[in-house]
Amino acid sequence: MPKRFNITLCDGPSCMHKNSKEIVAAIEAQLKKHELSDHVGINLSGCLGMCARGPVMIINPGYSIYGDFTEKDIPEIIEQHIKKNKPIARFIIDEDHLYNRFFRVFGDVNFFGKQMRIALRNCGIIDPENIDDYISLRGYEALAKVLTDIAPEKVIGQIKKSGLRGRGGAGFPTGIKWELTAREKSDEKFVICNADEGDPGAFMDRSAIEGDPHTIVEGMAIAGYAIGAQKGIVYIRAEYPLAVKRIKKAIADARKEGFLGQNILGTGFSFDIEVRLGAGAFVCGEETALMLSIEGHRGMPRPRPPFPSVSGLFGRPTLINNVETLANIPVIILDGAQWFSSLGTEKSKGTKVFALAGKIKNTGLVEVPMGTTLRQIIYNIGGGIPGDKQFKAVQTGGPSGGCLSEEYLDTKIDYESLAAAGSIMGSGGMIVIDEDSCMVNIAKFFLEFTQNESCGKCTPCREGTKRMLEILTRITEGKGSQEDIDKLLRLGNMIKKASLCGLGQSAPNPVLSTIKNFRAEYEEHVRDKRCRAGVCRHLLVYEITDKCVGCSACKKACPAEAISGALKQKHLIDVNKCVKCGACFKICKFGAIKKS
Amino acid sequence: MKPLEIIRKKRAEAINRIIAKGYLSSKRVYVGMATCEIAAGSKEVMEVFQDAVKSGLSDVYLSQKGCAGRCNLEPTVEVVEEGRIPLKYGLVTKEKAKEIIERHLKKGEVIKEWLIK
Amino acid sequence: MITIHINDKAYQVENDQTIMQAADKLGFHIPRLCYHPKLSIEGACRVCIVEVVGMRNYVASCAYPVSEGMKIYTNSEEIRRARRDIVELILDNHPEDCHTCERDGNCELQRLAFAMGIRKRHFEGEKKHYEKDLSSTSVIRDPNKCILCGRCVRICSEIQKVNALGYAHRGFKTVVMPAYNMPFKDSVCTTCGQCINVCPTAAFVEKNFTQELFGKLGDRSLIKVAQIAPSVRAAIGEAFALEPGRQFEKELVAALRKLGFDHVFDTQFSADLTIMEEASEFLERFQGRGKLPMITSCSSAWMKCLEQFHPDLIENVSTCKSPMSMASALIKSYFADKIKADPKKILSVAFMCCTAKKYEASRPELMVEGIQSTDMVITTRELAWMIKSAGIDLLHIKGEEFDHPLGYSSGAGTIFGVTGGVMEAAIRTAYELYTGETLLDIEIQEIRGLKGVKEGKLVIDGKEIRIAVAHGLGNANEILNTVRKDPERYHFVEIMGCPGGCIGGGGQPYAGSNSMPLDEECLMKRAEALYGLDRNKTIRRSHENPDVQRLYKEFLGRPLGPMSHKLLHTHYKAKEPRGIIPSELTVK
Repeated sequence: MPKRFNITLCDGPSCMHKNSKEIVAAIEAQLKKHELSDHVGINLSGCLGMCARGPVMIINPGYSIYGDFTEKDIPEIIEQHIKKNKPIARFIIDEDHLYNRFFRVFGDVNFFGKQMRIALRNCGIIDPENIDDYISLRGYEALAKVLTDIAPEKVIGQIKKSGLRGRGGAGFPTGIKWELTAREKSDEKFVICNADEGDPGAFMDRSAIEGDPHTIVEGMAIAGYAIGAQKGIVYIRAEYPLAVKRIKKAIADARKEGFLGQNILGTGFSFDIEVRLGAGAFVCGEETALMLSIEGHRGMPRPRPPFPSVSGLFGRPTLINNVETLANIPVIILDGAQWFSSLGTEKSKGTKVFALAGKIKNTGLVEVPMGTTLRQIIYNIGGGIPGDKQFKAVQTGGPSGGCLSEEYLDTKIDYESLAAAGSIMGSGGMIVIDEDSCMVNIAKFFLEFTQNESCGKCTPCREGTKRMLEILTRITEGKGSQEDIDKLLRLGNMIKKASLCGLGQSAPNPVLSTIKNFRAEYEEHVRDKRCRAGVCRHLLVYEITDKCVGCSACKKACPAEAISGALKQKHLIDVNKCVKCGACFKICKFGAIKKS
Repeated sequence: MKPLEIIRKKRAEAINRIIAKGYLSSKRVYVGMATCEIAAGSKEVMEVFQDAVKSGLSDVYLSQKGCAGRCNLEPTVEVVEEGRIPLKYGLVTKEKAKEIIERHLKKGEVIKEWLIK
Repeated sequence: MITIHINDKAYQVENDQTIMQAADKLGFHIPRLCYHPKLSIEGACRVCIVEVVGMRNYVASCAYPVSEGMKIYTNSEEIRRARRDIVELILDNHPEDCHTCERDGNCELQRLAFAMGIRKRHFEGEKKHYEKDLSSTSVIRDPNKCILCGRCVRICSEIQKVNALGYAHRGFKTVVMPAYNMPFKDSVCTTCGQCINVCPTAAFVEKNFTQELFGKLGDRSLIKVAQIAPSVRAAIGEAFALEPGRQFEKELVAALRKLGFDHVFDTQFSADLTIMEEASEFLERFQGRGKLPMITSCSSAWMKCLEQFHPDLIENVSTCKSPMSMASALIKSYFADKIKADPKKILSVAFMCCTAKKYEASRPELMVEGIQSTDMVITTRELAWMIKSAGIDLLHIKGEEFDHPLGYSSGAGTIFGVTGGVMEAAIRTAYELYTGETLLDIEIQEIRGLKGVKEGKLVIDGKEIRIAVAHGLGNANEILNTVRKDPERYHFVEIMGCPGGCIGGGGQPYAGSNSMPLDEECLMKRAEALYGLDRNKTIRRSHENPDVQRLYKEFLGRPLGPMSHKLLHTHYKAKEPRGIIPSELTVK
C-alpha cells in the first residue's frame, strides 16, 4: 500500500534524551487512532544537528522540520499535518540548513558525524542524474531567490560577507573576484567552472560533480546573474567521463526546467552553460592556461595582469571559480552569509573538502569546518595509521604542497595556518605518510610529477625543477653531497619566487618543506649513505646472517652473481657486485638475509 | 509568478514524481554509482538489485547515488527503512548484494558484520 | 605622472606602462631575453625579474605595470643571484659550443651570460638532444640551441600570421616545432626568416651556402656572375659593427670582385625592368584586360604564402618574376649571348637580404631553358661573413661601379628595398606610360613609413587610382581580406613579406649589442639609406634607365612581349599545405 507521509525522527543522543521513545509511541498511537498507520512511514535518523531545538522530526514530503515539541503535541500534529495536510507553523524550524540534511538520511555517524557537509551536502544522498532529487532538496531555490528579489550587487555583497575563499588552492576571496568581474563593462562575460582537477590522489571535484552536478549548475547561474554574464563554461578533463556525462545531463535537464537558457524563470535573465573537455594537462588548472586551452591553444599560463576579471576568455571579463567554491554558493544564498561566516576561523570561513589518502585507515572524502586540526582529521575521522605504524608526515595541497611533521599535527586547517607551517591548503589533497616512507623519496616523487607536468614555458620551472630532480635522484642513490642540500634550497627558493605561474611557484614546496621538517633524513642520505625507511634501493646493504642454511636459492636468484658459497654452507654477498635489487631477500625462506 | 513561487511549485511536482516512483516504499536502497564506486564493482551490485526488482522484489525504492567519500569501503549500499537509523553496507559484492536482498530486504534481517560501523 | 622608487631613489614616471618601460626611460636596462617590443608579452624567460616591495614573489618587469608609490629593486643582491641562476639554468641546457656556433659573438644568450657574471657553474646536468631540421631550402632549425623564449613562435603567429611554429611536449622536453614535427620544408613555413631575425641564439639560422660558394669561386671553368639586392647595401655595415644607415653600394661591388666574381650586376637594374613589365601589366588590367586589384609579386615569402593560404587571389597577382629572377633569367640568356658563353657554365649568384629567395631560386617555374636561373642565394649575413673570412676590408675598400649591361639602375629600382617602394616606382613609370607626361612629384609620402597598412590615391589622366601597401604577412592578410570583401576598393596593392619590406628581410645582419632585431629606428635608417641613394640619382624613373631601354631594343622587344613572357613572367598555383594540417592528414 502506498504511503502518503514519512516521518523521520532524530535519534541523536540529545533528542533521545528528550524522550524520543515516548514520542514514537505517541505517534504510533495517534496514527492507529486515525487509522493512518498504513499510510505513514516512520524512520529514525542519526543526529540532525539541531540539538538545541530537539526533539526534532521531519515530515515528508515537504521537508517540514518540527522542533521544540513534546509528546503532548503529537495528537495535534497528526491531526493537522497528516490528516488535513496543514503543517503547524509554530513548531516548524525554518533554519533548515542545507548542510544538515546529510545526517538526516545517513547513518555511519562515526565517519560523518565529525564532518560538516556543505559543498558535498547532496553527495551520496541524491540520484545525481535525477533533477527531481535535487529540486526536492531545495535545489534551484537559491537561484530563484536571487532572481526574485536580490540585486546582483547584493548577491556579491552576500558572497563577500560570507568570507568564502577560492577552494582551488590560492584562497582568493570569492566575493572580491565576483565584484572585480562585475565591475568591468563588456557586452560579453563568462563564468568558468574550473573542474580540471589534476593533483595525484585528489578527486574532490570529480566526486562533487558526479554526486551533485546541479549544485554546480546553480552556483554558476547565480554567479552569471551576479556578474552580468550570459555564458558559462565547465572546463573538465576528459578523463572524467562519468562526471562529464552527469554535468551534461544536469545542464540539459536544467535547461528543460527553465533554470538555464533564455529568460530564466520568466525574469529576463539569460544564462547557458557549455562543457569543454580538457586533455588532462595539470597546468590547465591554472586559470590563464585553462582559458587558452578553451580558446583552442596550447594551455600555457600567461603573465598577469591583465587578470581574467579584466581580460579573460577571448579577451572578455571572465570569472573562474573552482567546483567546490561554486558548490558552496547556493548554501550561502539560502542559509545566509552570516551563518556561513560563523563557521571556520577568522580568515578562512566555511568548510573544506579533503581527499584523505595514503597510510590511513579510512581513506575517503571528508568535509570539515575550517579550523579543524590535522590531528582531528587524521585520527578522529581517518581512524589513524593502519598496522600500528608510526605517523611520519602529512602532505597537504597535492604536488604543490608541503610535508608537515608530527609537531604540526595540531595545526588548524585554514589558508594562513597551513602556509605558516610551510604547506598549502591547495585544492584539498591530504596524504598521510608513515615510517615506511622515505621523505627524500616522497619529495622526489612529487617533483617528478611537477617536472613532467610543467608546461615548459618559464625557465625556473622548466629547467630548475629538472636540476632539483637530478640532485634529489643523486641523493637517493647515495651520490649526494652536503652541498647538494644547499643547492636544493637555493634553486627551490628561486623557483618559488621567480616562476611564472602557481605551478612553478609551488613546485619546490615538497622539497623545501621536507628539508625544513626532515632535514636529518637528507643528512643521513648524503653523510651516512643511509635511508632509514629502507626505501632508497641504492643505499641498502644486504647481508647474509647465520640463519643461512646454504640452500643457494639466493645465489640462483642473484642477477649480478654477487652471492657465493658452497651448498649447505653459509653464503656471502659481495657488496661491490650487489645491485641491491632485493631478489635474494625476497627468495630466502629462512629470513637469513638482512636488509639495512 | 515570481521565481520563488515557480520553484515552490516545481518542488512540489518533483516530490510528487519521486513519490510516484515509489520513494515511500518501506525500504529505500541506494547504490553508490560514482566512478570510484563503479571501479570498485558497484555496477554489478546495482545490476543484482535491478534484477531483483524486475523479478518481483516489491516495496523497495532503488536509486543510484554519488560518492559519499568512503573510498576504502566501496562499493557501498545504503538501506533506509522505517523505524531504523539508515544502514550502510560496505565492500558489497555481487554475492553480498544477493544476500542483502534475501536476508535484509525480504526478511528484515540486518547483516551486522557487513555494516559500516 | 606617478612616483616610483627604483633602488631607493624616487622618480616621476608616466602611468600606464610596465616597470621595464619606465626603467628603460630612466636609464636602467633591466636584463631581458624573451621580451620583444613588437611581440606580445611572454613573461617566459624570467630574466627581467625585479623585486617589488610588498609582493610575495619576484615580478617580471616586462609584464607588470608601475603604480603609485611602487618600490622596485632591479639590482639587489637577491635579485642578482636569482637572475644569474636563471641564466645559468638556460646555459645548463644549451650546447655551449660557442666557438663553433654560427652566432658566436652575436648571441644574446652569450652576451647575457657574460653580463650576469656566470663564471662558475652550479647546476649542470642532462642536456636536451634533438636532430637538426635541414630540410628547408632556407631556414635551419636546431632545437638544441633553442632556449624556448618563444620569440619565433610569436613573430610567426603575431606578425606574420603564418603559425608555422608552436610548442610541443611538456616540461624539460618542451620543444618548438612545426605541426606534427613534420620537416620544415613540408610545413606552412613561408621561409621569410623572421624567426632567424628574432632568435636570440642559433636555434634558427639560414641555410648557409658560403663554403660551397667559396669552392665554386675557385673553379676557373665557371663564369661567376653576381647580383646585389638594394637592401644588402643598406644594411651590411651593421654586420661590421657600424650604426645602421650607411650604404655600401660601390664598396660591395669592389668586394665581390675581390671575392672572385667576374661580373657584378645590380638587382636594381632588374627592378627597373620589373617596373617596366609590372607597370605595363597594371595598365593592361586597369584598362579592363585582367583582374583588379593587381597585387605585386616580388616577395618570395609572399609568393609561398599566396599559393598556400590565398589561392583564390592568384589571378590578382602580377605574373612578373621578382627582380632577382628577372636578372638571373637575363644573365643566362641575354648576357650569355652577349659574352658568347654557355649558360650552363655561368654561376649566377644572388646576394639578397632574404632567406625566402633561397626558396624562390629552387622554384621549378623559374627555370629557363631547363636550367636553374639563380644558382645560389647568399644573404647579407653570409656575405658579411665571406668578406670577413676572405680578409677583405670593406670599410676601407675603394668603391667600384657595377658592370654593364645589367648594372645601371634608376632611383626607382633602389627604393624597391623599402615597403611602398615598388608601388612608388611603378607609379613613377605608369603615370608616364599612361599619360605621356612626366610625373614631377615623385616621392609619394603616404605610402612611405612603417605603418602596417598604408593607403593612397592618385589621379592619372582624370582617373582615380586607389593603392594600398602592406609589409609583413600579417598585414598582408588584412589587406587581402579587404580585397575579398570589397574587390573595388583598390586598383593596385603592394605586398612585402617582411616587416619594413626587404630592408627587414630574414637575411639581414643580426641586431648589435645595443639594439633589438626589427627595431623600427634601425629599419628607418636602412630605408633612409635607400631613399638617399634614390635622391642622389639623376635618373629616378625606371623607364628612363638607358640600359633598360637598350635591353628592350636589342633583345626583349616591348614590355609584355613574347620574349618578356618567356623570360620575365611566371605563374602560381595553389599548393598544399594550406593550413597547419599536411595534405596526407586531411580528411578527404
